[in-house]
Amino acid sequence: METLDRTRRVKDILWVCVFAGLLAMLFRFIFGLGATTNLDDHVPWGLWKIFNMVGGAALATSGFTIGFLGHVLHIKPFDRLVKPAILVAFLGYGSSLFALLFDIGLPWRFWHPFVFWNPHSFLFEVFWCVSFYFLVTFFELSPSLLERTRMTRLQHSLKKAAPWLVVIGITLSSLHHTSLGSLFLVTPQRLHVLWYSPMISLLFIISAMGGGMMLLGLIKLLYHWWYTPGELIVGIQRKQSMVCATDPESATDGEPASASPLREVRALAIAGSVVLTLYLILKLADLLLRPEASSALFEGTWESWLFLSEMLIATVLPIGLIFSQRVRHSANGLAFVCGLGASGLALNRMNVGIFGYFRDAGEVYFPSLIEWAITVGVLAMAGLAFFFIVEQFSIFTNHRKPVSDTQLALGSSFDRLTRVWNHRLLTGFERVTLIALIVLPISWWLLYPPYWPETPEPVSPPLALDSERDTLRIDANRNGYEVLFAHAEHRQRLGTETSCTSCHHLTLPGDQATPCSHCHVAMEERSPLFDHDHHTAAVAAAEQFHGLQPENQSCACCHTLGAYHAASTAKGCLECHREDMHPVDPPDDPNGLMHASSYHSAMHQTCIECHRKEKEAAGRPDLDRCTTCHQPMPGFKPRPEEGEKLDAASSLVELAAKKRGL
Amino acid sequence: MSGMLIDVTRCIGCEECVAACVKQNGIDPRLADRDRATALDGLSENRLSTVETIGWTRFAKKACMHCLEPSCVSACLVGGLTRNELGAVVYDGDKCIGCRYCMLACPFHIPRYEWSSTTPLVRKCDWCFARLEAGKPPACYEACPENAITFGSREVMLAEARRRITSEPDRYLDHIYGESEFGGTGVLYISDVDLHELGWPEQNADSIPATVAPVLHATPWIGGSVLTAVVGLNWIVKRRMEQAKGAEGSAKLPNDEPGS
Repeated sequence: METLDRTRRVKDILWVCVFAGLLAMLFRFIFGLGATTNLDDHVPWGLWKIFNMVGGAALATSGFTIGFLGHVLHIKPFDRLVKPAILVAFLGYGSSLFALLFDIGLPWRFWHPFVFWNPHSFLFEVFWCVSFYFLVTFFELSPSLLERTRMTRLQHSLKKAAPWLVVIGITLSSLHHTSLGSLFLVTPQRLHVLWYSPMISLLFIISAMGGGMMLLGLIKLLYHWWYTPGELIVGIQRKQSMVCATDPESATDGEPASASPLREVRALAIAGSVVLTLYLILKLADLLLRPEASSALFEGTWESWLFLSEMLIATVLPIGLIFSQRVRHSANGLAFVCGLGASGLALNRMNVGIFGYFRDAGEVYFPSLIEWAITVGVLAMAGLAFFFIVEQFSIFTNHRKPVSDTQLALGSSFDRLTRVWNHRLLTGFERVTLIALIVLPISWWLLYPPYWPETPEPVSPPLALDSERDTLRIDANRNGYEVLFAHAEHRQRLGTETSCTSCHHLTLPGDQATPCSHCHVAMEERSPLFDHDHHTAAVAAAEQFHGLQPENQSCACCHTLGAYHAASTAKGCLECHREDMHPVDPPDDPNGLMHASSYHSAMHQTCIECHRKEKEAAGRPDLDRCTTCHQPMPGFKPRPEEGEKLDAASSLVELAAKKRGL
Repeated sequence: MSGMLIDVTRCIGCEECVAACVKQNGIDPRLADRDRATALDGLSENRLSTVETIGWTRFAKKACMHCLEPSCVSACLVGGLTRNELGAVVYDGDKCIGCRYCMLACPFHIPRYEWSSTTPLVRKCDWCFARLEAGKPPACYEACPENAITFGSREVMLAEARRRITSEPDRYLDHIYGESEFGGTGVLYISDVDLHELGWPEQNADSIPATVAPVLHATPWIGGSVLTAVVGLNWIVKRRMEQAKGAEGSAKLPNDEPGS
């Protein structure tokens, strides 16, 4: 019963993650990628692609490496590990591909690469190899799944095909693991120099082989820790007694397979370390061959620290630790080594795919809650599938589970699973329902998108150069691109007091000198203008003055009586404010002028319209050109062509110099 | 093959070209206005081109460079991006699956994604391909009040750029950005400042498809040699095991058939 207790808590946590993940998946499809992820144009690839796909595929390499060692070379401890390795590969690739469905923008077109080909694309190659390799792992796994059925003929033909499946699997794997590295070859300008290497393809496949073995070792240890903890202890005790014996290999050889899990894990950890040593050598050679990378190594930037810690976790520590006899002979020590190797590999993929691009992107990406929830949820689904498969079929043990003809259907198998849940309090189904009831509302509250973009900075009114306000410095976002506006001069030229309204539109009651930035709040965005409360109050006051009952009448001033009370049933602003709205910015939708234009366009439209009209009368054909108001910056070189325009430009420079002298 | 010449020394940063681009592509100008303020580099799904302001004195229009050997075209796994006979790199939204590899692959950070949509597509400048087919130049070219943008065949643009540089050597750096960068680009820049300082990738970078071609062409060889090696090893190991078994068997039973 202890084993049931051990897995039950893990399964509970996995179900929590699955429900949160399901909700996140729903949000992802309802609100779209932009609202639910922190991805943007500068960081187009995030957690799902890099961690789930690139990292997940790398960690699931044991399917082909152990298949090679066990089924092709027939090396002793590895042949018993082939089935677990294939299960890990199947679940790893399955979950990666599933997570990818959330990452790509149009998941229902996932079949497009089968039809539309671009053989020049590394991603095309990855897609084909990964999807076919996933099929291969399924066929490799199916004899284990079928062994409890009576479909002997199918089992027989699958067994016959097994060597060919292994061969095809190894070929496809070696192709797509190199191509996963080559994906990043096309970004020499963007990926950080520490990780961008011409031999990144080779580095990827070697590191994946090492780290994949480490992960398999970790999973095997966890399996035994959950289901047969006795064997681990027995293994340790036997080893300790073996230390005095002459040759442990020959002594354990005759033992039943399941009796020495620690020995198999040790073999995995040692094999993994050997591969990782090769990886370390290649990596050092790569650094030496690229002086720009080796000089970046100790720069002290956070990339260099990430790189060093990655190398420490993925290679130096596991390789160093495996030399220690104490580590090799303890379950905890081996788990630590395997955990380091596997997490180091995952860190490497994150570094290459995510962190290495930050400097070039000019921003830092941290996955949103929904991204985390889907990543963890997909992995939790794979975990539950792992529990289901290892409990139902003989994956880690060689004892065949009994053939039964009544329990072939999936439903009855689920019953057997629920009996695992049905331990103390509730039946499994009730337990899962309870988890769902608790998790779903909490994750709804936690994960609910959308994360809207922040509002832009409000602009500032023009600055007066002197107390008389002869000249205004118009620089609303205070970025130094100011326009010196000769206010007094314009006022004089246009006819003093009467000319105010030719530029100032007096929308606000009693307006004298409201700064433009009062309504044109943002530099580049339109700002909402309409103040509903102000209008109801004003209408009510007017009607009260005329002795009307305001309660029912005021709405009808603007909204169609009896119609739905909304902006769409209201009058356009210009229907009342015909005189006092600015004429240059007519409403562009039938409900009219709900927004003030951006400060930028408010300024431009006010000035340019008038300058266009006046240029003939003023005898200055250049009056509507940008440089009339915007002073040429220091170093500005006017256009040399076309004598007339050159004159205009040089006169502008003179004008500007005169203004600067003010 | 078309080309576009952008003279950084003439650009005054008025963004008339961007306004024309927004209009031509049927984008809501309000959204374009908003993204001008919020987008990191002024480009977004609503602004397919922008004018970069660098320092205080230089402006340069930024949009798709229409490379002669585009990295995005080689990256797209469904062939949704193609470079057509007029030299424009165009996007086919019917093929796209939304993997966004083109966005990662572009050294100029040009393709943008419709993040706000639930059925998003990639958006990028296509040199107003509809207009090109009708024999009209791109909208930005027509809108530029300072003639900072020139459009025509790429050879003519290169000749014009060289003519301007030679006729006014003080005005320009002696380099046409895009003549050889990334294997040559359809958009060419002449400037009096190093465009690398303005955020463009370094000069004289190699064509990306040409760089990765050796690795790509090695792929069938890798697959073939792995396949051969594994099949061969499989055969050798199996034969040796059978021989060992046979030897074992013959040691025990001398009359057993030897080569089974």
